[in-house]
Amino acid sequence: MRVIADLHIHSRYSRATSQQMTLGEIARFARIKGLNLVGTGDFTHPGWFKEIRETLAAESDTNLYRVATDAASPVRFMLTTEVCTIFDSRGSSKKVHHVILTPSMETAVQVNDSLKRYGDLAEDGRPILNMTAAQLVEEVVSVSAENMIFPAHAWTPWFSVFGAFSGFDSVEECYEDMTRHIYTLETGLSSDPSMNWRLSKLDKFALVSNSDCHSFWPWRIGREANVFELKELSYGEVVGAIRSRDVSRFKFTIETDPAYGKYHWTGHRNCSVSLSPQEAQKLGNVCPVCRRKLTKGVEQRVEELADRPVGFEPAGVPSFMRLLPLSEIIATVLGVDSLSTQAVWKLYNLLVGRFGDEYTVLIDASKDALVEVVDAAVADAIIRVREGSVRVVPGFDGVYGKLVLDLAAARAVEAPRGRVQQLNLADFW
Amino acid sequence: MFKLKVSDAKLLRDMATAISILVDEATFKIEPDGMKLRAMDPSRVAMIDFEWPKTIFEEYECAEPTKMCINISELLKLLRRAGKDEAVELSLDEKTGRLQVKITGKYNRNFTMPTLEASEEEVPTPKINFNVKAKTTTQGLSQAIEDAQLVSDHVRIEADSEKLILNASGDLMGATITLQKGSDTLLDLEAKENSKATFSLSYLTEIIKAASATSDIATLEFSTDMPIRIDFQQTKEGKLTFFLAPRIETE
Repeated sequence: MRVIADLHIHSRYSRATSQQMTLGEIARFARIKGLNLVGTGDFTHPGWFKEIRETLAAESDTNLYRVATDAASPVRFMLTTEVCTIFDSRGSSKKVHHVILTPSMETAVQVNDSLKRYGDLAEDGRPILNMTAAQLVEEVVSVSAENMIFPAHAWTPWFSVFGAFSGFDSVEECYEDMTRHIYTLETGLSSDPSMNWRLSKLDKFALVSNSDCHSFWPWRIGREANVFELKELSYGEVVGAIRSRDVSRFKFTIETDPAYGKYHWTGHRNCSVSLSPQEAQKLGNVCPVCRRKLTKGVEQRVEELADRPVGFEPAGVPSFMRLLPLSEIIATVLGVDSLSTQAVWKLYNLLVGRFGDEYTVLIDASKDALVEVVDAAVADAIIRVREGSVRVVPGFDGVYGKLVLDLAAARAVEAPRGRVQQLNLADFW
Repeated sequence: MFKLKVSDAKLLRDMATAISILVDEATFKIEPDGMKLRAMDPSRVAMIDFEWPKTIFEEYECAEPTKMCINISELLKLLRRAGKDEAVELSLDEKTGRLQVKITGKYNRNFTMPTLEASEEEVPTPKINFNVKAKTTTQGLSQAIEDAQLVSDHVRIEADSEKLILNASGDLMGATITLQKGSDTLLDLEAKENSKATFSLSYLTEIIKAASATSDIATLEFSTDMPIRIDFQQTKEGKLTFFLAPRIETE
């Protein structure tokens, strides 16, 4: 059976999340999106864990859960959380986020009992733990060998294993001797597998993609996901497919264009400065407006650590497909800034109503079938996103990338972000 | 052997301040007839080109050409300890590689600081045919730049044969500052052709503010979309010139 899984989301107990982020709503929108497996997020938080226990019921023999009051829902939950470790390594402070998957309420309780010694789990859905990354892995796997832990959004400038500001140059430096328990990396929105393939030292890790969403809206949940072909939908099957990197089971990941991510290019949000790696290096990574250090983007960070050329493709690994949220595509065609306007929802609901869920619209629906529901411009945009014949103006320093359908208008979209381009004196030698 | 002495610490302090605007570690070329520095900021957007002949100093000794790299901010901290009319003496101990900073006045202070590995990079100046040359008072120029900074982070400098215009446009506000040829601020203006170029105000402001302490007259030279050269006429001998790369407007 085909399983589409988003294993990293947050609850309403995490900072900057929607207060309506309940398990029922998550299940409702996961189904609309086309997900059949979603992480609970935040099982380390006592308040959320209480809701999980009260709301979810175990699916027998799967180590997965469903909303107890909705037996018909195809959406299953896996117990997941994200934690932040802050520790010193070789004289500098390191801040790294990790995702933890666990098979049962019992193991979740044990993980929580273990981790509460290192920080206040009730403070945030994503707790801060004063322990090294290696200590965290040791604690988690000592609870159960079935637990899985991996670095979250591995490339974002802050809080990631390769982060430009407080990360490392290798997985081994971060997790030390516990690296043997790390089977996968989460690529994050601002990078995709092709960028990670450029580092031969990452060949031994599976590459997973998740949304890390803070709200259930369909332009957030499942915007990145993992697609499996499994005998049955169970915790063991999913984790086994990831650990083995078996391409017959772990088929591909759904990726946004990495330029869509908030940290793809280098720049300064407040200065409206957005730079490619080459431009940033030319300026010594100094902002030409405020003259402070730029927020180094993921593309530049990958470039620093890569030992393979752009376009390298390894054999025998899960592939990936680039998509963008359907609401984003519709809003771009309509020329509206907000994805939550009624005009966008109207077309969105027509399409999802006709095809069953968003992924089917984005991946499978033919253009002929699409134009029976929406006008040709929307249908054409969906097909173009599927085929990759669109442009995304790169995101930078916390600003999302922007989809551009009219390639001739790309320049106008880019203009407000960098009204003036700073040259340097070497251009005049 | 290298040693120099100035009777008024302000001279050294103002120059070190102007250099520190762009450079953290400054490599000076020390030569028998004087000292020079040409360096760019880390982003290579701006350059300082500075020369002091030996005659500017009360004492100057240099047996043979050498290079000396120092942390300019650290030197500045020491120089700020010198009061008005106090003398400063710098001498390089080539055996230890340390720079001695001696301040004499109300009482005597001897500081030492390390020198750093000198940069071997030879920095060329940009090759530009300037179409506009404008001589301004540094005070007037400084005020005009401050006006522009109220509304934007960059300014377009335009000139024709009669006037120099500073045009700043922000998200909400705009400013147009006009300096007429022959006015109290714009002392002279030559324009071979009408020209305009846009520059970062964060650089311009800091450069002009720092250099104004050493100079009353600034000469601006620029062409359309080319770097600007700003020469600050020194009250004594010497040269203090900055180059600043333009920003290209994409709208």
